[in-house]
Amino acid sequence: MLRVNINGASHSCAPGGTILSALRRAEVRVPTLCDDPRLAPIGGCRLCLVTVNGQPHPMAACTTPLADGMEIATHTEPLEQLRRTQLRLLARHYPREALDRPAANEFLHWVSEYGLTGELGTAGAAQRIDDSHPCIHVDMSRCIECYRCVRICEEVAGRFVWRAWDRGDRTEIKPHDGLPLVDSNCVSCGACVDTCPSGALVDQTARHDGLPMAEVRTVCPYCGTGCEMHAQVKNGRLAGVRPVLDSPVNHGHLCVKGRYGWEFVHSGDRATQPMIRRGEDWQPVSWQEAIDFVAGKLTQIVAQHGSQAVGVLGSSRGTNEENYVAQKFARVVLESNNVDCCARVCHAPTAAGMKIMLGTGAATNSFEDIEQARTFLLCGVNPRENHPIVGDRIVQAALRGAKLIVIDPRRIELAEHATIHLQLRPGTNIPLFNALAHTIVAEGLCDPAAIAHVEAWEKFRQFLDDFSPEEVAPLCGVEAEAIRQAARLYATHKPSMSFHGLGVTEHVQGTEGVMCLVNLAIITGNMGLAGSGVNPLRGQNNVQGAAHMGCDPGILTGSVPVAQRQIFETVWNSPVPTRPGLNLMQMMDAAQRGELKALWSIGYDVALTNPNAGQTVRNLKSLELLVVQDLFMNETARVAGTVFFPACSSFEKDGTFMNSERRIQRVRQAVPPLGQSRTDWEILCDVARAMGQGDKFAYRSAEEIWEEIRLVWPAGAGISYQRLEGPGLQWPCPSEDHPGTTILHREIFSGDNRIRLRPIDYRPTPEQTSEDFPLLLITGRALYQFNAATMSGRSRAGLFQLNDRLQISADDAARLSVNDGQQVRVSSRYGQVELSATISDAVLPGQLFTTFQSTAGWVNCVTGPHRDRFVQTPEYKVCAVRVEPLEVAQDTTAR
Amino acid sequence: MADVQSFYSLADADLSQAVCQGTACFAARHANLEDWRRAEGQLPRVYCLGKCYAAPATGADRSRPRMVVKSRTAVVLERIVAGGAHALDAYVRGGGLAGLQQSMASGPEATIGQIERSELRGRGGAGFPTGVKWRAAAASDAPTKYVVANLDEGDPGAYIDRFIAEDDPFALLEGMTIAAYAVGAARGYLYVRCEYPGAIGRLEQALAEARSGRLLGERVLDTDFSFDIELVVGGGSYECGEETSLLNSIEGRRPVARVRPPYVAERGLWGLPTIVNNAETLASVPWIMRHGADAYASLGIPGSRGTKVLSLNSLFRRPGLYEVEFGISLREIVEDLGGGLASGKLRGLMVGGPLAGLVPPYLLDTRLGFAEMRAIGASVGHGGVIAFDERTTIRELVEHVFSFGAYESCGQCTPCRLGTRRIKEIFAQAAAGGSSAAEQQEWEEVVTALKLASLCGLGTGLAEFAESILRHYSQELRACFA
Repeated sequence: MLRVNINGASHSCAPGGTILSALRRAEVRVPTLCDDPRLAPIGGCRLCLVTVNGQPHPMAACTTPLADGMEIATHTEPLEQLRRTQLRLLARHYPREALDRPAANEFLHWVSEYGLTGELGTAGAAQRIDDSHPCIHVDMSRCIECYRCVRICEEVAGRFVWRAWDRGDRTEIKPHDGLPLVDSNCVSCGACVDTCPSGALVDQTARHDGLPMAEVRTVCPYCGTGCEMHAQVKNGRLAGVRPVLDSPVNHGHLCVKGRYGWEFVHSGDRATQPMIRRGEDWQPVSWQEAIDFVAGKLTQIVAQHGSQAVGVLGSSRGTNEENYVAQKFARVVLESNNVDCCARVCHAPTAAGMKIMLGTGAATNSFEDIEQARTFLLCGVNPRENHPIVGDRIVQAALRGAKLIVIDPRRIELAEHATIHLQLRPGTNIPLFNALAHTIVAEGLCDPAAIAHVEAWEKFRQFLDDFSPEEVAPLCGVEAEAIRQAARLYATHKPSMSFHGLGVTEHVQGTEGVMCLVNLAIITGNMGLAGSGVNPLRGQNNVQGAAHMGCDPGILTGSVPVAQRQIFETVWNSPVPTRPGLNLMQMMDAAQRGELKALWSIGYDVALTNPNAGQTVRNLKSLELLVVQDLFMNETARVAGTVFFPACSSFEKDGTFMNSERRIQRVRQAVPPLGQSRTDWEILCDVARAMGQGDKFAYRSAEEIWEEIRLVWPAGAGISYQRLEGPGLQWPCPSEDHPGTTILHREIFSGDNRIRLRPIDYRPTPEQTSEDFPLLLITGRALYQFNAATMSGRSRAGLFQLNDRLQISADDAARLSVNDGQQVRVSSRYGQVELSATISDAVLPGQLFTTFQSTAGWVNCVTGPHRDRFVQTPEYKVCAVRVEPLEVAQDTTAR
Repeated sequence: MADVQSFYSLADADLSQAVCQGTACFAARHANLEDWRRAEGQLPRVYCLGKCYAAPATGADRSRPRMVVKSRTAVVLERIVAGGAHALDAYVRGGGLAGLQQSMASGPEATIGQIERSELRGRGGAGFPTGVKWRAAAASDAPTKYVVANLDEGDPGAYIDRFIAEDDPFALLEGMTIAAYAVGAARGYLYVRCEYPGAIGRLEQALAEARSGRLLGERVLDTDFSFDIELVVGGGSYECGEETSLLNSIEGRRPVARVRPPYVAERGLWGLPTIVNNAETLASVPWIMRHGADAYASLGIPGSRGTKVLSLNSLFRRPGLYEVEFGISLREIVEDLGGGLASGKLRGLMVGGPLAGLVPPYLLDTRLGFAEMRAIGASVGHGGVIAFDERTTIRELVEHVFSFGAYESCGQCTPCRLGTRRIKEIFAQAAAGGSSAAEQQEWEEVVTALKLASLCGLGTGLAEFAESILRHYSQELRACFA
């Protein structure tokens, strides 16, 4: 520790910091304008100057490293005079009109504190105001040239939108092609707004609302990154969202969805009243009536058809506590293992594949490993759009010299930063992954210490013989030499960290694709070390938690097989059904056969998101009881719902989420539930009570549920709400003195451990192109909307992409006489959909891509029936189609 | 990148027809008021074409200055006064490459030892001991290091670097090669300002010839040592003469000052150990290696060893380049070398450019030396010597210097970005009818902020100039404020 003296008081500080960091710890405030802990200091504003013994001139606290024995004075009269002089120079160029409306403004705060409000200048030039952007209001007449927007856009977001032009007092901050901002390459992450100290950049939503009254720390409701955010509250309503600076997940950064995707909470079409469908009409009813109705129907159906005839879908939108209650409800009240969640349609293959091979079906490493990795293997994952905070951290790593291998049929944004982009043909992951393994083995690039622990190594070696890069290159549509280069990089430029997404899992060999990635990590020794491992990027905020809490027919809370149910029976004081349950896809099949009669779907728009929508809708309509529990009257409710339970958003409740890196984080209520809406767990408990099982569902708070979860889940036993007041904990965390686990399998290559690799043969999908269906359609997500757009579509984030757009290559577009923006019909063997085409160089000729957010298009009308053979995850990533231009060219989309 | 390019004022300018408004041309404006008015109205502005001996200068002027060796031994001007060494063979005949051979024979450590013992200090303005820089860079075990020659001679009034590049370019290349050999660098950059088109052409030729002559490239002079140099041409920015800005400029980044520490010897170009030396410093290195550190250290005075080439402006009777030993008095420079002013009385002497104190006539007995000049609030600087006669008022001079400062400020720190402009405004306003007492106080406060709070030498240098005005010209100042 360093001993330093600050204004006469002695302090001990850890080495490695700056004087400013020591001042902050000592709670000595000096004015700063250009400082932001997220950014490398530039020492520009010169307000944090302090005197240091032995130094002839004052030193900038933000840039001067702390040294032992420093005697620091912060508020001598000469220093204060220097600050006044400089603030006055800045104030003269700053419009006094800014005082008219109270807003968080560091600059005006200091101007006022130094008594210089009277020095403020007059109104800025109108041409420096830009109101074009839906999220960000720009008034550069209030710019004080701290360069924080320029720096954060470069150093954190990696977007390089804001640039400094000209020099000296003529310096202007504007995008590359000038204002308006809306025409730039801005991705609306709001980082510049967040850092701007002077009100030059402000949230559009904050312009007229004044200062928020409270801030509540919670977790983003969108993707599985699990960014922490401050929900800003005014008069009982959300007023904005800001990133949490000290979050280990997002380091004070958010993406457009987290930052500008919260207005859905107060959307005018929030359904806030319980309803029962009578005939075609929805009739508002009291909670009591709705609950009694559902309890009665469920009781009747179970009595009549048995517990196999009912099913429950938990929700990735729900908390861990709520999903725990949902699966307990299914098993205890309905006596059925028919419980599942949307992990079925995304990363169930990951959980299964990794559990089979490694014993744990979750990410092996953590986001903090991104800064340790030297090579990234990115397979079927598009983090710059779908997990932007992870994507932005990977970009920063790449800018610092890390190598990227991108395996994706599309030219995703990260391909721009990649050393190698293997732009493979959809559906050929397995031969490509095997060819990577083949090259690593054939070229002697395996990690010998790792191989020593592999069982039946020779057999695995021999299996790979058939997968030389030259052999698979024509099938995969990539160059053999590129495969070899990628293999060499992954195996030798270590540590190498693999990330994968639905481009690996949503295939008929999804589970096996994940197993191939584990094979690769093992043979190269990229496991159990910082900056390595196999890491799914989970799609939704709590999809990891929903399944892990037991919303899966085969597993109980903590990913325990139903066979190991003893502890549950003890804690629940109830038998756990042993009859194997149905997963979502099997429930749909059972409905089609008339065997499933009731489904309770929580926070999940099955109709819009399941593949082969025509069949899905017929299946849903065949149900006697379809309970839809959601924020909005979603498509599932609209086409087939019988009861609607109005639920709360995550901003309206307490609980925990589990992110992609196994981190449990607290979700905190920021605003009261809207209208009559209630939390998922309260609704579940009420129905349980109405069905005579109230004693097992007598929870009074989310924390009480969590305490029960700790009893049944040993790896989470050490995680208490009290401990979660900090930055979250990663399981396994078996005891209260356990720090949590950032890296799994640290001992994998030591002792007597034996590892079994899996030889995975290639079994091509039946979904092949033909003369009638010559193109391959890939479906997936994009930056501005989220899955079915339930939330993003009701927020300004979604304004940037109002409709699904079909990406088509220029070659195909020309051949098919499709113009940019033209409406086209996409037909598959299963159905058809009309979409607006957009000519894009992101897709190769012969391939198409679209999102699936809108009911206008209803993209899942064309996706097919094929599924992963282990866990039945649908094959969303390969769909043979044809495209025909529609007669009337029209572009119904707008920016 | 268009945004970075926009930082540079002369990126697309045609300098052949330009008129200069550098400080020496300002001092000499009365000699050709028409050209001066043109210079003042010209956009982009041009500050110093390195022709201060023929001011007000124009891009078209091809005259050469008087060049005189006044030291006991010529170190820098040796070949230049003899007509220059424009080809490698002429350079070798004139003693070239002997220093490099000596260096390679004695090894990197001994080379650094020689430079340390010579007490060579940087000639670019700061006067930092060259050997200390080299040793710091040599101490790093980084696999890649860089040597950068700073030929961005932006200080109005100095033009020696221009003539080193034009007339003795191989001395510069040899000096860089010795430096690279000493610290273990394989790559060098020669950063030259675009205002010196003649120098750029000569350096390009010299680099090509040096490569074919095995002075540069793989296996330099058939040794195991490899080194090559890339020429980088500036885009018109005084700030790029500041070493960290210069490195940002080479990297293609916005050329603003970086915070220190880390110092460039540890983390310089692309974050790797780098030595940045001024052209005259590097041109002295071969001589030191050839003749030995002791021969060099026997020149000059304690603390200021060796020679310095002074660039005298056109207000002297005999303007031109003079190589002198440290220890010579300013009076000797003005009267004996320059022959006094061509007309009028001396109001002040600006040594080392506008980023240093103005020397009033009554301090002319000060001796030229780093400590000696510092003691009177002045500086050796780059060795430009600009005489102002009494036709230039202090108000005009302050307005000129701060107009220059505001134009060339990079904008990174508050006092320099806004303070220079404010001082310029106050003194411009003083011409129109006087500034107030409040503004007098404000100017003094801003000077203090510039001195104590600036991020780099541009702001602090301007403060030193301003302080010399406050100290020595209080009477003239009083007239500026009502």
